[in-house]
Amino acid sequence: MSSSPTDMNVNNSLVARPIPGMFTRLWTDSLRHWVGQYSHPMTWTGLGLFVFLMLFSWLGPVLYPVSPLAIHANHLLLAPSWQFPFGTDNLGRNLLARMMDGGQATLEVGLLGALIAISLGIIYGMIAAMSPRWLDKVLMRLLDALLALPAIVLMIFFAAIIPLNALSLILVLGCLSWPGLARIVRNEALAYKEKDYVLAARQFGASTFYIARTHLLRSMLPILIVNATFMVADLILALSGLSFLGLGIQPPHASWGGLLNDGLQLVIIGPWWMIVFPGVAIFLAIVAMNVLGQGLLARLEGR
Amino acid sequence: MMRRMILNRLGTSVLSLFLLVTIVFFLIHATPGGPAYSILGMHATPEAVAALNKQMGLDHPLWQQYGIWWAHLFEGNLGYSFTQHAPVATLTGSYLANSIILYVLATVIAVLFSVLIGMFQGYWAERTPGVLIGAGQIIVYSIPTFFIGVMLILFFAIYVSWFPPGGIGGDQSAGGVLNIGSYFHHMVLPAITIALPLTAGLSRYFGHQARSEYRLDYVRTARARGVPPLRIAVNHVLRNAIRPLVTVIGMMIPGIFVGGILTESVFNYPGLGWLLWRSALEQDYPTLSAIVLLIGVLTILGNLAADLTNSILDVRVRYE
Repeated sequence: MSSSPTDMNVNNSLVARPIPGMFTRLWTDSLRHWVGQYSHPMTWTGLGLFVFLMLFSWLGPVLYPVSPLAIHANHLLLAPSWQFPFGTDNLGRNLLARMMDGGQATLEVGLLGALIAISLGIIYGMIAAMSPRWLDKVLMRLLDALLALPAIVLMIFFAAIIPLNALSLILVLGCLSWPGLARIVRNEALAYKEKDYVLAARQFGASTFYIARTHLLRSMLPILIVNATFMVADLILALSGLSFLGLGIQPPHASWGGLLNDGLQLVIIGPWWMIVFPGVAIFLAIVAMNVLGQGLLARLEGR
Repeated sequence: MMRRMILNRLGTSVLSLFLLVTIVFFLIHATPGGPAYSILGMHATPEAVAALNKQMGLDHPLWQQYGIWWAHLFEGNLGYSFTQHAPVATLTGSYLANSIILYVLATVIAVLFSVLIGMFQGYWAERTPGVLIGAGQIIVYSIPTFFIGVMLILFFAIYVSWFPPGGIGGDQSAGGVLNIGSYFHHMVLPAITIALPLTAGLSRYFGHQARSEYRLDYVRTARARGVPPLRIAVNHVLRNAIRPLVTVIGMMIPGIFVGGILTESVFNYPGLGWLLWRSALEQDYPTLSAIVLLIGVLTILGNLAADLTNSILDVRVRYE
């Protein structure tokens, strides 16, 4: 076992031993590379703000277990205090608890609706980009026509007709918001479609679907992420607008837009806490996503 | 080349209109029980429903009804509002007029302030005031219209009561003389609400224009010649930077409508957006579909106008 010490020294200095993991990229390396690709002060600010709002909505009820629906008949319309940090509404409900509850609904619809819109946009854009020229033209003309329609008016129209709950709102908002993204996807796909590596893949017999999924989608991922953040901001704004009009999340369930409308109904009495807190929450959610998107965009454009 | 492009845009607009009308038709027919139930209410007797169906041509197969729907549209027959007790076509007139006055006022305010702010921003582009203006624009642009409206009511109507919190002035319903002063007094807060986000977006655009104009050699030459700064700003920079503004105002039209719907609802201002909102809440489907069609058509025409002016003013777009 123990040979002479000199032998050991020779072996150690002359034989190059591979360091474990030398030739394999660790997942932490990929992660660092991926994060570094997007890192920018604005990215972190926006992301941090949005994560804060998500923690407020989902972790908040765990730390502050107060029912958003419980009515305190002798605590009506109280300004913020230690007992009710955000005050109470006209039914004596705890506004902080309602803000957390409403945050869940608002962010949920925003995120899932954006997911639907992005999926539809990718599917439509990819089909247009991969189809023959005449079909692409037809599809793009149809897209132009859809883009000219006023989305918010159609949303109000749909909301007046369908039964209103979180699921139906996710579907309506998602299905009315994809055309803008579809055009971006199609234009990006066309730009990458003629690159050498895609042509090479095609020569090797890769199917259209494989190319779209592997090469095109991966190449346009950064631009997709940027537009996804803007999409979430747009949908949060749209849902808040609808709820504010009474055409979104229905009472007794809370949403930030609905809470703001509660404040408007009582504006004559001037309960500023019922107006400022929900309004600022909507504003922060939109700003967070827009700032995040701007940061990502700044990195992509190499500024 | 030019003619082909105009025909292209026109074709797209026609397709948009077609899609809009079709979507509205099928959605109205997808309402539970069909249009008759939504007009008569959920507790209507089967006989009444059958009679109304016959009267409205709803006993025909769907594709024939679709044709009837188009025929009615061309006749200007938009249906009868059962909540407002009037034919929809006559109903929309006064609301449309109220909306147009409000939107024009808001646009004028937005354009004036955008040019002013944009000029300062262009002049101070890389210095602190310019950066501050830029930050302010992003912040104001991100505030939802309805939140601006509610905050304005809270401060200017409730806390200091300078302006009425909503409604429309100049008692029009009593057939009295229109009180212009009261009418515009009621319009101040809604107009500011619509104008604020517009100003934020437009002044940012105009600021960029002014800034790139300030960097050009002829401005430097003028400075070197000793031309006073105000004269450079007005005679040189403003005149050149303002040119693309026409197009941008055209492109703003959909945004004005979106802001308008929410603003009119906040202030209970009886315009088209308010009527859209009320008819959606009360499920007054004839009115609702008529308003959706009307705003849709106006938006499509606005988009078309913006596209066409853009291509006439800018040669590069024409040859794309």
